[in-house]
Amino acid sequence: MARTAPGGERVAQAVVGVVGVAAAAYGGLLLLDLDGPDLLDALLWLAGGVVLHDAVVAPLTVLATLALRRVLPSRTWTAVTVGLVVLLTVTATAVPVLGRFGARPDNPTLLDRDYTGGWLVLAGLVVAGTLAWSLRPRGRVRGTGGTTGPASRRSSPPSR
Amino acid sequence: MRLPVPRDTSFTSPLRDERLTARLGVWLGTCFGLCFLTGLVSHWYYLPDPWFVPPTRPVWGYRLTQGVHVLSGIAAIPLLLVKLWSVYPRLFAGLPRGGVRALLLTGLERLSIAVLVAASVFQLVVGLANSAQWYPWAFSFRATHYAGAWIAIGALVLHVAVKLPVIRRAFGSPVDTDLPERTGPGRRTVLGAALLAAGVAVLANAGGTVPLLRRVSVLAVRTGEGPQGVPVNKSAVAAGVEESARDAGYRLTVTGPDGEVSLTREELADLEQHTSELPIACVEGWSAGATWSGVRLGELLDRVGAPPDAEVRVVSLQRSGAFRSTVLPPAFARDDLTLLALRLHGEDLDLDHGYPCRLIAPNRPGVMQTKWVSRVEVV
Repeated sequence: MARTAPGGERVAQAVVGVVGVAAAAYGGLLLLDLDGPDLLDALLWLAGGVVLHDAVVAPLTVLATLALRRVLPSRTWTAVTVGLVVLLTVTATAVPVLGRFGARPDNPTLLDRDYTGGWLVLAGLVVAGTLAWSLRPRGRVRGTGGTTGPASRRSSPPSR
Repeated sequence: MRLPVPRDTSFTSPLRDERLTARLGVWLGTCFGLCFLTGLVSHWYYLPDPWFVPPTRPVWGYRLTQGVHVLSGIAAIPLLLVKLWSVYPRLFAGLPRGGVRALLLTGLERLSIAVLVAASVFQLVVGLANSAQWYPWAFSFRATHYAGAWIAIGALVLHVAVKLPVIRRAFGSPVDTDLPERTGPGRRTVLGAALLAAGVAVLANAGGTVPLLRRVSVLAVRTGEGPQGVPVNKSAVAAGVEESARDAGYRLTVTGPDGEVSLTREELADLEQHTSELPIACVEGWSAGATWSGVRLGELLDRVGAPPDAEVRVVSLQRSGAFRSTVLPPAFARDDLTLLALRLHGEDLDLDHGYPCRLIAPNRPGVMQTKWVSRVEVV
């Protein structure tokens, strides 16, 4: 890509790139300040996140998408996609509170909600929204496979 | 059964496209930038030899920056997941032909991406766990999270530099133009879903620091409630001060150039009392406004002849722990709002809020608002 870029842009790329490398290298040096066992643990956690995403989360997402597209009628795909993106990613942010892993008997002000109940309300709202969107009456775009979200209504004919 | 090894061309969805990725990247980069800068501000408070002395105003400064830190980090989680989804097929792309140089450049770029993804996931995961006081690892959170922040932001800046031409191209054409008339969502819908998810995640968590959202924030680590209407980070039991804080022999000792003053809690209560409206704002992202009353720290320092430019160490009854003592820069020690508070919301301090007395100063992290104070000394 860089080879086809105009000169000014290439200079900008080089300057910004050097700043980035310097900042990351500084972080690397800070990391090396950790004691041996701490450093090893940190490196395991750093690598673990990538492996967890690339080898577990992403493949499961691909498989689940393929399965859902077989099961669900195509006119629900847009609503279900939005619903699942919201529900699954927000649930990922809730793992520590849903598991109550940090709870302490001496401090009732920490993790002091009914998180399962709260999550169920949230999930219920998302499911209701998804259903309402899937089942909403539509008239404008009949004949295109019975489908569509706002995006495909806006889209132009294929260009390639 | 043999599974075929996927290639980047095995993924056929036209939604995974640089136009979507670039737009997600701008939102994610904004969150990372906010998170990095507010994290730096927080880190500077902890430096043993500060070149940066934080200002005492606005009094809610740390409440704002730390709230933004935690909430921008939470918003980044849905955005990162969707962005990684959009580029996942590239993990399986073949190596380029064109000799050693092309191979080397591609290898370096992939290495930088690996570092970026590792550091990004790491920062968000350990930050999120820390906000819920969950520590399933051995390393020191603060040192490691700080090092990880520089790695993540550096790798991000390098990534932007490498991808600059792609980013320009991606923003040069509307996001959905080439999508055929198709069933299911368009790229704009996926982008909208990611932003909606980020917004929902923020709303579901913000109640810990935005009182108006308390009832909406079903996933917030704290409701914001607690003894005397204020949450507690470290209890008296956890600090091991239950007995010493209630001991009738308790004295507050203040030392300076003119000697030492020793005061019982009754004697402290007989001194002139002042009231400060100051928030307590925690590094874990929660905060609460409160009305404190007690003795002005500056007036106690005058009694022992402390010079106005003196740094002051405030020491807790707590026997151990990183925050059993803190050093106050002169501007904080002498601020009229800085109190050794005896009362909270008109009642004697709860034991968990630092009875017999605690430090409360404007614009400071909660862990530095020392509880169960036993000594004040000029450094």
